[in-house]
Amino acid sequence: MSPLATAFRAELAAVLGDKQVRMIVLLALVLYAVIYPLPYRAELLRDVPVVLVDQDGSTASADLARRVDASEAVALTHLAPDMAEATRLVHERRAYGVMLIPDGFERALLRGDQSPVALYADASYFLMYQRVMQGAAVPLRQMGAEVEAGRLIAQGTPRAVATAQVSPANQIEVPLFNPAAGYATYVLPAAFVLILQQTMMMGLALAATRRGPLPGHPVWRLMGRAGAWLAIWAGLLPVYLIVLPVLYGLPILGGPGALMMLGLPFLLAAGFLAQLVAALFRRGEVVQVVLLALGMPFFFLSGFAWPVEAIPAHLNALAQLIPSTAAIDGLVRVMQMGATLPEIAPILWHLWALAAGLGLVVLAVETVSPSRPAAPDRGPTAPSDSPAR
Amino acid sequence: MLAVMAREIRLLPRRPALAGLVIVLPLIMLLVLGGIFRAGIPTGMAVAVIDLDRSDLSRAVTRMLDAAPELTVTHRASDLSEARALIVSGAVRGAVLMPQNLERDITRGARPEIVTFYDNQHMSAGSLVARGARNAIDTALAGLRLSVRQGQGEAPVQAMVALQPIPMQAHALFNPAFDYVHFLLAALIPTVLQIIAAAATAYAVSLDFGPGRHPRVLMRMAGGILPAMLGKILPYTVIFLLILGLSDVALYGWLAVPLRGSLWLMALGAVLFVLASQMIGALAFVLTRDMGRAASMIALITAPAFGFMGLGFPREAMSTLAQAWGAAIPGTWYVQLRIDQSLRATPLDISSMSVLWLAVIAGVLAALILAQLSRLARQEATP
Repeated sequence: MSPLATAFRAELAAVLGDKQVRMIVLLALVLYAVIYPLPYRAELLRDVPVVLVDQDGSTASADLARRVDASEAVALTHLAPDMAEATRLVHERRAYGVMLIPDGFERALLRGDQSPVALYADASYFLMYQRVMQGAAVPLRQMGAEVEAGRLIAQGTPRAVATAQVSPANQIEVPLFNPAAGYATYVLPAAFVLILQQTMMMGLALAATRRGPLPGHPVWRLMGRAGAWLAIWAGLLPVYLIVLPVLYGLPILGGPGALMMLGLPFLLAAGFLAQLVAALFRRGEVVQVVLLALGMPFFFLSGFAWPVEAIPAHLNALAQLIPSTAAIDGLVRVMQMGATLPEIAPILWHLWALAAGLGLVVLAVETVSPSRPAAPDRGPTAPSDSPAR
Repeated sequence: MLAVMAREIRLLPRRPALAGLVIVLPLIMLLVLGGIFRAGIPTGMAVAVIDLDRSDLSRAVTRMLDAAPELTVTHRASDLSEARALIVSGAVRGAVLMPQNLERDITRGARPEIVTFYDNQHMSAGSLVARGARNAIDTALAGLRLSVRQGQGEAPVQAMVALQPIPMQAHALFNPAFDYVHFLLAALIPTVLQIIAAAATAYAVSLDFGPGRHPRVLMRMAGGILPAMLGKILPYTVIFLLILGLSDVALYGWLAVPLRGSLWLMALGAVLFVLASQMIGALAFVLTRDMGRAASMIALITAPAFGFMGLGFPREAMSTLAQAWGAAIPGTWYVQLRIDQSLRATPLDISSMSVLWLAVIAGVLAALILAQLSRLARQEATP
């Protein structure tokens, strides 16, 4: 058998035949797919609880409260007599905002003065803050526009002119992709790519720490191994990035062809990186812990959840060496945003360059130190050799 | 027990893998995470303008967009499909369309549309772009409304007041600077430390309690299995607490995150949190008696823990199952305590609940470990 085929079969056996590696790869798929998305199943934040402190107690303040309560984003669930009691409710996390309508609200409006309303939103939770602000701002603005238009009409301005003067243009916001602003739709596609990379690297690095010596030139051995990775993960890639998203009802705009084209260099780069991690840390236990700890930093370095514009340049340059950075960007654009391969050509080239570069480094490492001591009880060439007692 | 602790500390420099896991790895994580979020708020995100009007007004709106801190106008697209391609390829994060005859229609009172398109798949960036564009266009239109009123002979101050009959005074509770570093970093560091503490403790325990090792020597040294186990765990508790303390010095000192609450409550919470995280690792190991399987178990519990803490998507909006799962993880309560005591200055009676939960989790984990250890001891006694 040629060295290439030997290496291919040995790697298949190392991944699929080793109980621990198999467990990481397959169990991780099932459990991550179930546990990770669990918090996000609700998708949308509706009716965020807000406390109303109505010090005016007038018709106008009741009207404003009704309008805010009717918004989709917030609900006025609690009434409090003063700010102290309202703040206490926010501290207890029973509400995430306070709307304070001050005494004299209606009087000021009738007099034609400015009549401010105060909104306190819990900014320690970004999403809650946004929803509370959104939920109150729109009705407030609407009521303000009606009041301004009413005053103009009272001064004798024709109704149509008054409306145009209050709001000269119609501002429309159109979210492209994820139009409902669902949290699962936003975070899961990127997270699935990262989980795929981390579990693949964990499995392959573990297999690499247990690999025995094989015959043939390092080039053939590496190519044989890479072939085995592709054979296994070519099946898992569509499961993670098509089947799981469909199960969770996420939008899919990309086809399997484009997925495979991007997936090929991504899988190769992640596989080569796993070899380097294994060569660096040697012990299977250490490799697992290191890759486990790196998951979160890798995710935030990818520039997906935390915009790349806010990542310092030198860290961002470093992040480009991690396959998931380019892969998350490219795969989300292709699968969720319907980008064509020519539109994301730079990302595709980036991944190929990464795969080639990492491949060469692995080759160099394995050529320089070809006789790394193998774990005697695991190597396929020494199946029954156990250490002396 | 002290003898075991002394031995553990003496052995640490001779076990480079373990020393790397408990000291070097967490420090690198601190540096990387601190580096990522140091900039605070994202600024200067690229947007395209589709200006079909080419009037003074449309140019004014473009200038306002470019002046918004969130945005930079980097591209001019000639039509919608060009703008869409720019967004899809990632060149820009949004586009603002100003239709033909915008200025003319506005002066005629025909209320034309100004449309902002933004990439909401990248929701964090997309919502910032939408907000920046909304404010910029509002400012441009307010300028226009002001000049109309002044043209009708109103005094500038009076006109300004008339523009906004019901102004909203927005206050950001607990986080006035509205800095993301505050809550992301305050949660990410414990998340990563929870992973490392659990995994490294499992590894340390495996070195003495694993197959082929001799825990009896250790037990004789300490005079029982409980002190032996404590002697193994406590040295690392100290190390992880030091690292947590270092991260706090960095957060509250260097990054100037406000610290408004009780330091003592936070310290108590930190001790319970580190112990509980370590015991997840110890329990995983004594249950599986195999580092590989223990690592998978730890991964299952600690790796997805961040999502359950509710910093991105709030806990209150999760399903009951997800809330319960999150409640069983020590990090959830510790992060809540940190946010309560650093940012929110929560009254102590409310915040003590988090500490109580941490104590309950730590107690249950300790009981489970002891039960399993005595089961194993019985098994060895009766072969």
